[in-house]
Amino acid sequence: MATPPLFIMLSSVDRDKLQLASMIASVAAVSERPVHVFVSMGAIKVFAKTASGNDRYGDSAFNAELCEKNAPDPIDMFGQGKMLGDMKVWACSMVLDVLGWDESDLVDDLFDGQMGLTKFLSDAEEGQLLSM
Amino acid sequence: MSERKLIDARGSFCPGPLMELIASLKLMEIGQEVEILSTDQGTAKDVPEWCAKVGHETVESGEKDGHWYVVVRKAK
Repeated sequence: MATPPLFIMLSSVDRDKLQLASMIASVAAVSERPVHVFVSMGAIKVFAKTASGNDRYGDSAFNAELCEKNAPDPIDMFGQGKMLGDMKVWACSMVLDVLGWDESDLVDDLFDGQMGLTKFLSDAEEGQLLSM
Repeated sequence: MSERKLIDARGSFCPGPLMELIASLKLMEIGQEVEILSTDQGTAKDVPEWCAKVGHETVESGEKDGHWYVVVRKAK
């Protein structure tokens, strides 16, 4: 039986949450489990093309340790999972609308397009949904 | 028989070693083996688990000289 797809909804700028989300997404994607990531609310700002380095993340309980030990960057992890596995990344169309952004404002080569929440939730009915 | 490949992923945090292994496997021929070295203890269980799930073969795994190693044979 095929493994049900994994749907991950991101809404936080918290480095801890994004680090774990990127680990879950990339490992699932390379383990023959389709992954769909939906980036909404403040989390979209982390993926802004103009943001850079660790400054793109909000502070969090484990952020200092992650930086000190040079842990892999979550955005790089998402990219790695996408390159090596079955992963799609969608930008929430509502938050792009609020910000007046389009896909060109987001980091290159990561997003598969915009998606509305209704469509994402409908798709997620066939798998498991995580919200972080 | 082709030479066994070596990936030194010591110092790389989870899931870095697994990702390095997968990237390497994509470039290998079926039947070829690769040994990965890691200082992440989770690798010793994660890699065999991943191999069992996706259909590659764990040849051997263990600990030596303060790090963990896993030998994987590409099976598909």
